[in-house]
Amino acid sequence: MQHLANLTERRDRTSGHAIEVAHVSHVYAGADGGVPALHDISLSVEAGRFVVIVGPSGCGKTSLLMMMAGLRGQSQGTILCHGKPILEPDPKRVGVIFQEASLFPWLTTFDNIEFPLSLRGVPRSERRRRSQAMLSLVGLEGFGERYPHELSGGMKQRVSIARGLVQDPPVLLMDEPFAALDEQTRMTMGHELLRIWSTASKTVVFVTHSLTEAVYLADEVLVMSARPGRIVDRIEVTLPRPRTYEMMATDVFGRLRERIWQQIRETV
Amino acid sequence: MVRFSEVAMTRAQITLIRSVLLALVLGSWELLPRSGLINPLLLPPLSEVLAMLGKLIGRSDVQEAVAVTASEVVVAFIIAVPFGAAAGIAIAENEYLGEIFKPMLFYAFSIPKSIFLPLFILVFGIGFQQKVAYAAFSTAFVVVMSAAAAVESVRSEHVMVARSYGATQMQVLWRVYVPSMLPILLEALRISMIFNFTGVMIAEMYASRTGVGHLINTWGENFQMPQLLAGVIVLSAVAILFNEGVRALEARCSTWRT
Repeated sequence: MQHLANLTERRDRTSGHAIEVAHVSHVYAGADGGVPALHDISLSVEAGRFVVIVGPSGCGKTSLLMMMAGLRGQSQGTILCHGKPILEPDPKRVGVIFQEASLFPWLTTFDNIEFPLSLRGVPRSERRRRSQAMLSLVGLEGFGERYPHELSGGMKQRVSIARGLVQDPPVLLMDEPFAALDEQTRMTMGHELLRIWSTASKTVVFVTHSLTEAVYLADEVLVMSARPGRIVDRIEVTLPRPRTYEMMATDVFGRLRERIWQQIRETV
Repeated sequence: MVRFSEVAMTRAQITLIRSVLLALVLGSWELLPRSGLINPLLLPPLSEVLAMLGKLIGRSDVQEAVAVTASEVVVAFIIAVPFGAAAGIAIAENEYLGEIFKPMLFYAFSIPKSIFLPLFILVFGIGFQQKVAYAAFSTAFVVVMSAAAAVESVRSEHVMVARSYGATQMQVLWRVYVPSMLPILLEALRISMIFNFTGVMIAEMYASRTGVGHLINTWGENFQMPQLLAGVIVLSAVAILFNEGVRALEARCSTWRT
């Protein structure tokens, strides 16, 4: 846990906005004028921060994340990543980590992690060197030759994280990555993610519907309303880092969680 | 470890039981007709059938029939598989085509194809073309359905992942679609060969002047049991060999499917 001591300092070094979303709205095409999904969303994420987006199911939080990733277009508004618009997936700027089983079942752990590199024709020895480094970062040394079906749910998500980090993008977008895990594994993985984040110094935008997870992980929580999704609250999480499991029992934690819950309840 | 040895034990037992059963069947085939318990005219002893098989293989008319049948099977397969696969991929990938054609294909698939045989004879005669046309027709439906199932087995998450890492269309095709679909496509290949082979045989037995099916039909009508049974043995062996060959390939390509 030594590396965590430098965290504040490192965050000060990286400055400016990693992600800027300006007046983004989206309407799903349909018979009678379409379904409004997102309404006039503006937000900015400072470089190096851990921002969590929460909201009721169907509020469009995953859609918003996919737009930040360039995997989906919006009807209106712009999204900038480090000052330049996101129009299509750009793995050098943004890494995406998906819900549950997004690993390719026909590839080994090594080959899964190296997939983004192999698309760009990185030589094999270089690929292996980098995937080895990623495996040790996520604590899975010795599992490189295993197939996904030989790994537990938590291990699979570690591999997904390693795959997201292998090209060293400054921004990581995570779409409910731990939703399919059991409660205990989920807490452990959250803790692990914070450890990895603190060593890798990335900007993270993390979507979840777990309020506890949100408060535990975030520097800042953005609360979205039910469809059409809007940002209804922005909550600064003042809990010190490194976060510990004991903090969940504190009054501060409880109050933050309660405030988010109130916001979500009012909008539904 | 205990469980492992239990499995190994049962495996060995199963192999033993299978061998014993096979020996029993072959032994009875030899001994029952010889002892007179079964009429040897109806079921000639195995050794007699095998001797006949040896003789038949040397006969030029039999060789010619085998060549005709083999070429019909191959040509029908080469027509049915690519066209069926292309149609299956089209209806799985294109929502509108799927909407229009899928129910029709399901209806058509359920109809026994042999009832169309007289129509094929009227249109194509009783030669090579008719055998190929009928076999390709009876195979195409299962290929279409399997190819559509193979495309549908590709998970959209996997396509999303590849796109998010900047994969081109070609990379998505080769790195996601092909490996996802391969196990189902191989299975489809195997099953469509069963339909295809059956199609050729039925067409040859129904109306033909040549081919192995025609020979078998003639031997049956003339009550030439050793010849008939020798033919059955050869055709069974060919069908089983093809099937098992593709199955072995399937097993190698789908270790990740659990």
